[in-house]
Amino acid sequence: MFKKPATNLFPKTEPVPVPEGFRGKIVYNVDKCVGCRMCVTVCPAGVFVYLPEIRKVALWTGRCVFCKQCVDVCPTGALQMSDEFLLASYDKYDDKFIYLTPEEAEEIKRKQEELKKAKAKKSQ
Amino acid sequence: MSKEEYFVELVKKTFPNADVEIKENKWGRKRVWVKIPRESFRAFMKFLKEFDEDTHYSIAIEEDIGDSIDFTIHFLLKFEDAPGISLLVKTTVPKDDPVLPDISDIFPISLQFEREAMEMIGIDFENAPDKRRLFLPDDFPEGIYPLRLDEKGIPEEMVKNAGHPYLLRRGGK
Repeated sequence: MFKKPATNLFPKTEPVPVPEGFRGKIVYNVDKCVGCRMCVTVCPAGVFVYLPEIRKVALWTGRCVFCKQCVDVCPTGALQMSDEFLLASYDKYDDKFIYLTPEEAEEIKRKQEELKKAKAKKSQ
Repeated sequence: MSKEEYFVELVKKTFPNADVEIKENKWGRKRVWVKIPRESFRAFMKFLKEFDEDTHYSIAIEEDIGDSIDFTIHFLLKFEDAPGISLLVKTTVPKDDPVLPDISDIFPISLQFEREAMEMIGIDFENAPDKRRLFLPDDFPEGIYPLRLDEKGIPEEMVKNAGHPYLLRRGGK
């Protein structure tokens, strides 16, 4: 009765700090990705869609179950777990859940083709 | 002679048509596997009940193996001093005549597993006192058995996928 309440008044204060190795939202680094499809094989929730023409994956973390298997299996470290866990949203197709939209995929495709052309010119 | 060996000898003597085998896993746990033809399936269950009155019926597993259906029951016998005999009884029925005798008067809980097997893979248990569905919804179509791997299984158009936004946008939006 005469003690302070042992509660965390969340919106007024910071939330309870996350421990080390906390499994938060996935962070995807497109440039590091080599398109080995390991994450597609290992994911239990169908987060990944493989895009064969640019050899990358499109993610929808709205479906993610935070099991970290894709992070453990990724050979280049393109997938990482962040500390972010306040992920409430009004829209399940919110931008923060989606990595690599079709427009971005188009741009990567264009860049890859330019690189190819430049290489071809160099070798000539 | 261990419990398992004694039991295997007894089964071999009583049921010469059964296929008995002791398997040991990497942690040294022994399991007895019995393959029994369906003619002696009911007699074997009665034999088990007589062998040990406290025979524990753990689970029944139905499985589609191509031309026929496997029905496996996992028992635990003689478990007064651990570990007891872990026994797996396997019966195979052909798909064109998937009939097994009902054993719910010997092991009452088996009725639940039989009802599941009836709806999930289409084994018919003769003289079962209750043949209603257990897990499937009432509006599920007749003649479709979800665990079948052949043409009686779930058809392609019944499989739903909520869809990935990348594929949805490329298709519609």
